[in-house]
Amino acid sequence: MFKNYLKIAWRNLWKQKVFTLINVGGLTIGLTVSMLLLLWVQQELSYDRYNTKWDRIYRLHTDIHVNNSDFISCQVQDAMGPTLTHDYPQIEKFVRLDPARDILVRKGNETLQEKKAAWADSTIFEVFTLPLLAGDPKTALTAPYSVVLSETAARKYFQSTDVVGKILHLNNTADYQVTGVMKDMPDASHFHFDFLMSMSEMENSRSNNWGNHNYYTYVLVRPGVSESILNAFLRDVTKKYIAPFYSEILHISMGKLEQGGNHVRYDATPLSMIHLHANRADQSTIEPGGNIQYVYIFSAAAVFILLIACINFMNLSTARSASRAREVGVRKALGSERKQLILQFLSESWLICALAMGLAVLAAIVLLPFFNQLAGKQMTIDLLHQPHLILYFLALLLIVGMLAGAYPAFFLSGFKPIQVLKGKLLSDNNTRGLRSTLVVVQFVISSVLIIGTIVIYNQLNYIQHRQIGYNRQQVLVLQNTYPLYKQVNAFREAVLRLPGVKNGTMTGFLPTGQFRQSPSFFKDRNTSANSAFTTETWSVDEHYIPTLDMKVTAGRNFDPQHFGTDSSAIIVSETAARMLGFKDPVGKELYEPMDGGQLRVLHIVGVIKDFNYNSLHQAITPLMLRLEEQRGSMAFRVKTDNLPGLVEKIKQQWDAMVPGQVFLYSFMDEEFNAMYQADQRTGNIFVLFAVLAIVVACLGLSGLAIFTAEQRTKEIGIRKVHGASVADIVTLLSRDFIKLVLIAIVIAIPVAWYIMNSWLQDFAYRTTIQWWVFMLAGAIAVVIALCTISFQSVKAALMDPVKSLRTE
Amino acid sequence: MIKTVNLQKLFTTEEVETTALNGINMEIQDGEFVAIMGPSGCGKSTLLNILGLLDNPSGGEYFFWDKEVARMSERQRAQLRKGSIGFVFQSFNLIDELTVFENVELPLLYLKVPSSERKQKVEQVLERMNIMHRRNHFPQQLSGGQQQRVAIARAVVAKPKMILADEPTGNLDSTNGEEVMKLLQELNDAGTTMVMVTHSPYDAGFAHRIINLFDGKVVTENIKEQFHV
Repeated sequence: MFKNYLKIAWRNLWKQKVFTLINVGGLTIGLTVSMLLLLWVQQELSYDRYNTKWDRIYRLHTDIHVNNSDFISCQVQDAMGPTLTHDYPQIEKFVRLDPARDILVRKGNETLQEKKAAWADSTIFEVFTLPLLAGDPKTALTAPYSVVLSETAARKYFQSTDVVGKILHLNNTADYQVTGVMKDMPDASHFHFDFLMSMSEMENSRSNNWGNHNYYTYVLVRPGVSESILNAFLRDVTKKYIAPFYSEILHISMGKLEQGGNHVRYDATPLSMIHLHANRADQSTIEPGGNIQYVYIFSAAAVFILLIACINFMNLSTARSASRAREVGVRKALGSERKQLILQFLSESWLICALAMGLAVLAAIVLLPFFNQLAGKQMTIDLLHQPHLILYFLALLLIVGMLAGAYPAFFLSGFKPIQVLKGKLLSDNNTRGLRSTLVVVQFVISSVLIIGTIVIYNQLNYIQHRQIGYNRQQVLVLQNTYPLYKQVNAFREAVLRLPGVKNGTMTGFLPTGQFRQSPSFFKDRNTSANSAFTTETWSVDEHYIPTLDMKVTAGRNFDPQHFGTDSSAIIVSETAARMLGFKDPVGKELYEPMDGGQLRVLHIVGVIKDFNYNSLHQAITPLMLRLEEQRGSMAFRVKTDNLPGLVEKIKQQWDAMVPGQVFLYSFMDEEFNAMYQADQRTGNIFVLFAVLAIVVACLGLSGLAIFTAEQRTKEIGIRKVHGASVADIVTLLSRDFIKLVLIAIVIAIPVAWYIMNSWLQDFAYRTTIQWWVFMLAGAIAVVIALCTISFQSVKAALMDPVKSLRTE
Repeated sequence: MIKTVNLQKLFTTEEVETTALNGINMEIQDGEFVAIMGPSGCGKSTLLNILGLLDNPSGGEYFFWDKEVARMSERQRAQLRKGSIGFVFQSFNLIDELTVFENVELPLLYLKVPSSERKQKVEQVLERMNIMHRRNHFPQQLSGGQQQRVAIARAVVAKPKMILADEPTGNLDSTNGEEVMKLLQELNDAGTTMVMVTHSPYDAGFAHRIINLFDGKVVTENIKEQFHV
């Protein structure tokens, strides 16, 4: 019987090639898009699960709120990891990471910059699943000045992985012995390192200081230990060790702090939650994480595009029900039960879906590299090594086949034999209502996607052009300028003499940079609890503010030449001034706790206008600047028509002063844009899928237009005989569809407004959704629908009326 | 045999109530050949649909080989129809996507007859209808007469108790029509009960008895020849 169903299904598909093409084409696009999006979602949700012990690994986080200042970080105190493991046998291991941001590695006569390096405790291979291709995981990172390379790094520097015992010269300072080669870390990991150096060379790693939050700390708990137990241990540690530290060194009673509505908290985040659920206020993440919102959005997009394709199928199947009605009547007359007919029609839809699925898998494999580029991922479809994908695809096939085929199957199998055998089918009115509803649903989805795309691009455009408090255009940033050492001022002067260079500053604390620092201070000399606060404090020089075009709104900039006391000067941002509660901050004093219980007195000399140094997803947070040398990088304001030429001249100056040192540079506006790479990618993916959704909806619409023109052949012939023009006929055929599209737009507007408004809430600084966005989206939808329908309408209108009437 | 007692059929739309059958009493013996005639709209096809268990009467009783079937559900009627009743339609109603063989095979598929047995039965009946040489053709490739022979083959392949023919020669020329009527008569001579709706007095002449309907009632019965079971 099943063979009979398939035979009929195949022959029906072949007989109605155009409709088959539309159905298979639409389903193929829908399935391809869904598969790619679901692959992306699957990868996002599987981050860090390559670790065999992923469900027992936690990262520790800091959440300090003191007197309106916040310090949120995924770094904790140096002593936290060792203390937890020592005091609580339920905690099996700890490992700390200190990412190096970048290191310099000597390769022959060259020095190369590597950005994926970190110091790590030797327990890293016992906590995380990082298999070693060479070397002993237990001892590879025990000795100081030892380094474990990734497979890629080993091949890059030694053209082999058999490199244990070889020497690498790092950071122009020391020789490191290669003690292991590890497999490259998987793509779906919240950190990626090519170089792991031994934490044992870091003095801080042995300190009992409960003030410095230097390290990313992970703990591996024993089986059966829950997150809440771990958090209880952290509360314990806070009471036992951190409270006394606050008392003794910062002279703050934890109890009094908490009474004032403040808190000092440490908590644990499961490893599997790090990538998608990072605290947005945390600026200390090792690598930019994902966003669970996008997972929801793209999952929904996958479902909706598939829904549009299924709706096409339903619509075309029910529209053409007349051609299958007689067969239904005959089969019922010959003894078929309804359930047998349902199975027959479901088999047909599954056959179409299977065809579409086969094509979709091929299309997904072919398009995957392009999608990887778009999404910034390294996903694979390897059915041999990822057998779970086969299950997903089969499940998708069953679900889509059922979804698309169920309604037509039930509808067609319900025909009464005596009616259809006599040629008296149900009036088209019975199905027209549902078809119209389905077309409206398709175009609601498409219109929402169009509106969403316009809003995303508006927001990205807004970000690009919003005043952020400093001028990032034409700012050349030289990275890792430590090698200049004592020559740094001479180098700066030499560069400033070059034509086209307007100003220059030296500091690693640039708005688009990675350097961040949040020490604690007091507002009053007697260091009372309610005067304590912590805030971003950057070490800069007197050229910082003019080079970056920042605005001093009160007081003055640093001027060490004329003010010897500027060595203890502070400039605060407007938000910092508000946080401090100072209406007129200039002249006020702040107090910094030092070792030995001493207090350093700082005086405020100026206020600068707020500037965004976080992504515009976050609101501006308080910031202070202090006059202190920091040689991490240099930034030069340039104005020239020959930028490459100028860069080359600066490089020559660099090579002359520090020969053999790698010259690393970038432009501040490119670094700024990189902050929004994820949003840009999202926008690109969104627009691509919006286009595809519309293509699928239009495929369905054109199928219905073909059907409608066929149905009304006689009517068109009669109208033409009685004087109707081509324009009259086109209007007649298009009118009903355009009405549906307009209804869809009206429904889509509030839906899209709600969704996009929710997305925009994720940005502290955002554009508004103007009325013209909806008008534009509506116009686009109508134009696309008209273009789709008009081809069929014009073709029908041009047909010879004699032919159409003879057919009848 | 089949028997109807005071059979009624009402069709109700939003505004109009039509009485298609108004108290039909009739009996058809095993092996009898009955023709039902009457003007358009007299209820012939409605009666045939009820006799063929394609529809339920609004009132009265219908005994299908001693079983009262007037109130059966569609599912029950389908079960009873299978293998018991063969249909021959005016417009042939062959399935275009199936070959001649596959069309004829259809009733046996629904009766879950095993494949080898199906093949044998279908070939037998195709031989009998002299259409075996066209077994792999599709209906669009056959003439009207050939299509109707296929339809008859399909109607008899499951050896039903009764064949209902609704204007079987309506779409055929006289030669083909004659051929079809002879086939139906042969089948009846072999023992199959035949009930035929027709406008054609010539076709009605093949029957043992002619029932004339008018406005949903039996008005006359003409016995052409005495039928003995």
